[in-house]
Amino acid sequence: MRKRLTYMALGALMGVTASAVTATAADTITIGVATAQTGALAPFDGPVIEGFKIAVDEINAKGGIDGKIKIKTIDKDVRSDPAQTSIATQELVEAKVNVLVLPCDADPAFAAAAIADKAKIPGFSTCASSPTLPLMGGDYMFANFPGDNVQATVSAKWAHDQGHRSAYILYSPDTQYTTLPLYFADVFEKLGGKMLGKSTYKLEQQDFSAEVTKIKALNPQPDVVMTSAYEPDFPAFIKQLRAAGVTSQVIGSDGIDSATTFSLGKATEGVVFTTAGHATPGSALEAFNKLYKEKTGKASETVFNAIGYDLVKVIEAAVLATGGNVDPVALRDAIAGLEGVKGATSMITYKGTSGMPVRQVSLVRVKGGERELVGQPSPDAALIPAPRMQ
Amino acid sequence: MGPALLVMLAAAVAPTMGGGAERTLIVFFISLTAVVGIGLYSGNSGILSFGHLSFMGIAAYISGILTMPVQMKKLTLPNLPDALASMHLDFVAAAVVAVVLAMAVALVVGMVISRLEGAAATIATLALLIIVHGVIIGARDITRGSQSFFGVPRETDIWVAAIGCALALAVARLFRDSVPGLRLRAAREDPIAAGANGIRIRRERLLAWVLSAGLVALAGVMLGHFLGAFSPKKFYFVDTFALLAMLIVGGMTTVTGAILGAISITAVTEILRRLEGGIEVAGVQLPEVFGTTQIGIGLIILIVMFKRAEGLSGFDEWDERLFGRRAAASAPDTEDDFVPPARQGETLAADGATKRFAGLTAVDGVSLTLAPGEIVGLIGPNGSGKTTLLNMLSGVLPASAGTVRIGGRDLTGLPVHKFAGLGIARTFQNIRLFRVLTVRQNVLVAALNAWPRTSIGEAYRRTARVMEWMGIADAAGVKASTLSYGDQRRVEIARALALQPTYLFLDEPAAGMNREETDALMETLRRLRDTLGLGILIVDHDLPLIIRLCDRVAVLNEGHLIAEGDPAEVQRDPAVIAAYLGRKHQADLAL
Repeated sequence: MRKRLTYMALGALMGVTASAVTATAADTITIGVATAQTGALAPFDGPVIEGFKIAVDEINAKGGIDGKIKIKTIDKDVRSDPAQTSIATQELVEAKVNVLVLPCDADPAFAAAAIADKAKIPGFSTCASSPTLPLMGGDYMFANFPGDNVQATVSAKWAHDQGHRSAYILYSPDTQYTTLPLYFADVFEKLGGKMLGKSTYKLEQQDFSAEVTKIKALNPQPDVVMTSAYEPDFPAFIKQLRAAGVTSQVIGSDGIDSATTFSLGKATEGVVFTTAGHATPGSALEAFNKLYKEKTGKASETVFNAIGYDLVKVIEAAVLATGGNVDPVALRDAIAGLEGVKGATSMITYKGTSGMPVRQVSLVRVKGGERELVGQPSPDAALIPAPRMQ
Repeated sequence: MGPALLVMLAAAVAPTMGGGAERTLIVFFISLTAVVGIGLYSGNSGILSFGHLSFMGIAAYISGILTMPVQMKKLTLPNLPDALASMHLDFVAAAVVAVVLAMAVALVVGMVISRLEGAAATIATLALLIIVHGVIIGARDITRGSQSFFGVPRETDIWVAAIGCALALAVARLFRDSVPGLRLRAAREDPIAAGANGIRIRRERLLAWVLSAGLVALAGVMLGHFLGAFSPKKFYFVDTFALLAMLIVGGMTTVTGAILGAISITAVTEILRRLEGGIEVAGVQLPEVFGTTQIGIGLIILIVMFKRAEGLSGFDEWDERLFGRRAAASAPDTEDDFVPPARQGETLAADGATKRFAGLTAVDGVSLTLAPGEIVGLIGPNGSGKTTLLNMLSGVLPASAGTVRIGGRDLTGLPVHKFAGLGIARTFQNIRLFRVLTVRQNVLVAALNAWPRTSIGEAYRRTARVMEWMGIADAAGVKASTLSYGDQRRVEIARALALQPTYLFLDEPAAGMNREETDALMETLRRLRDTLGLGILIVDHDLPLIIRLCDRVAVLNEGHLIAEGDPAEVQRDPAVIAAYLGRKHQADLAL
């Protein structure tokens, strides 16, 4: 009896929240935000939603999308847990949201994707970079970050353009992200480069002497050493590599776009890595960073803030494309056809993809402890390798 | 079985409350299945386990691989061994295979863990969690490593979860009151007394471990097929602590506790997470504050531990609270008051029994015999080695040297539970009852271990009979720890008698009893010797009692046997008087 009473109480409580939500008029688009504001994913979802809110406020202050469609959000914390994500998503579906925003990590995003797909409501993962997610998550699942394969395409193309012809990769099969160098190898070979070998590592391995010895023993030395290792692996690796006297160009990915990389002095000097954006003077990212400082009183410390801003811009563009129709199915089709949306970090295109946006990727070089923009090339779609499952 | 019915009822009602509620309920059922699964082991054995989520993970992966469509497997698991890649089972078959395999793993692991005690066992379960987590990540070809394992068909709907949960509740509740469950709970309360009463603690722990792994594995199968995508981190610390929090808040020792814990934590979570999203209450918009859910759960744990350290449900199931403990399996049948005589026979003999504790020789080369039908008193000053000698004779302590024999059979080095089977029963100086069990359960658990084995019905009858003998039948349904000191001593003797022993060792049985009670006890002991032909070895400081009751008296001093014989002779033995009694006590002996 006690149990049934509990559920009746819960049911009543849910009824209250549900009725509060259904009061949405046609001049409103409701975005259900089921993200991880606490737990292991909070360092990613937190900043994204911060930027997301800034964009929502900015648009609503101007009267809404196209000056008339206000954005309303329903926020739920999924506590970095897939089961909670599935519950929260179901509740948002019942609250009749038009668009869903889902966590950065693939587990909860997958758990929610099935529900979004069934309800025919488009959903975005805040910052998942694995191209597998939108591919396997169904037609209604989209990502909001440069795909691993896209980043690798940009860095491989750049390396080849610099005249580098041989490469060595260090990757870890432990996570999807750390297998990014395999995409690099694909593209590099496609461009006519030669792979001299590859090493694997375990996350948080710290000691890279075996891998470094292998690279040091290569004759001739590779022009490029590419890895998507990040802290604490990348700093350990690069220090040991340079200490061994290997002078090859080292290329990394957005995982090392952190203050640490710029504070390692000689070890990281000259390292080039891909990242989601770069605040060149007059750029959209610079403008966003200014806006962020204005709104929050502090400087934006991560590109994930701007990524959240981008997400709202994409939704805005989709609503504009449908001519103000906020029907979820119409929105999905509109998103899938978006081309050249101006976000804070870059131009964003969904057209012709399986849900993983094509975005400009910035190439940044570490120079004297500062970031130097190498280029912001748009990746060549023909070069981008197909998503890899394993 | 009430809760199981409630589960099914809730499942029937849930769909009318919307999918969010339905999903919440599914997650609740899965959590509850896991919690009662962990409780089946941890609650009954008293050993907290951090390792059970490994079985959840193992079962989720195995069943996921079996139910995943072959096409999907080709795509997502290209390196899967051919046999697995082409195999496809329906959900139920896959669930059975996964649960059985998880139990097989548990059996192997359990053989190690069941040998460990208390904190060591808990740490071993923690190691298990870490090792299995590592293995799942390492087996990349089968599990996709740390990456999302997806493409598992979403078969777990509200009915699957409800049936699984009801099944788990039923198994856990039945186990608790089953013979192995009772034995294990007795071992939890007092492992030394449990061993001395014939319980093979390791075997009982192993059985519970494997069973509970099966239930947790079932939860894993359901969870995997609810989420459709998961990775090893779903079966690691965060979820382990979430489930253990439910178990500990509710009360580890009962199924009711698992239910209460799961309900209270789920309810508080559900309420708080609605508040933290910034709800409007009476026209006032509350701010969005994420994180209150975790703080709330933390506070509940603190409050419950502070107010009720044994958890919300305490030590009793809801039905035990409501209807009292199960009624007696009928009073002893007077028509059938057949008392089997003690096994006739041979004399128990210690020969040169010696016990050394790191430099101290507590018992030094003592030889002593006890024949069926005689009462032998063992006396000596404090620290003379009486209790140590009893411990050696009953197998509680292994002898450092010397032998203990029954007739021609050498008992030296046998595990303690075998001593009970060979007809040796005992009580303890510092009363070792199974405290939260009822008086009847205390006696019954021993009756079930009598050798040769008898039926459970016979064990119940014998339980009633010995309780009657010891005058504690009225207290049968009362928790042992609530009895008076003297009554607790009587329960201990009843428990020893329920083993149908040939030899009975009593360590200060009259301590805490007044003169009338002591006299009644003496009467009872004499009757037991006469009717059952028991050989009784009794240690007591009540010298008048010893001298009047015993056929023979042995005197220990500083670990040595200094005198043995007729009570009257021993009383006059100058060595005894000098070493132990002292001249000024001679008057006492003249009683």
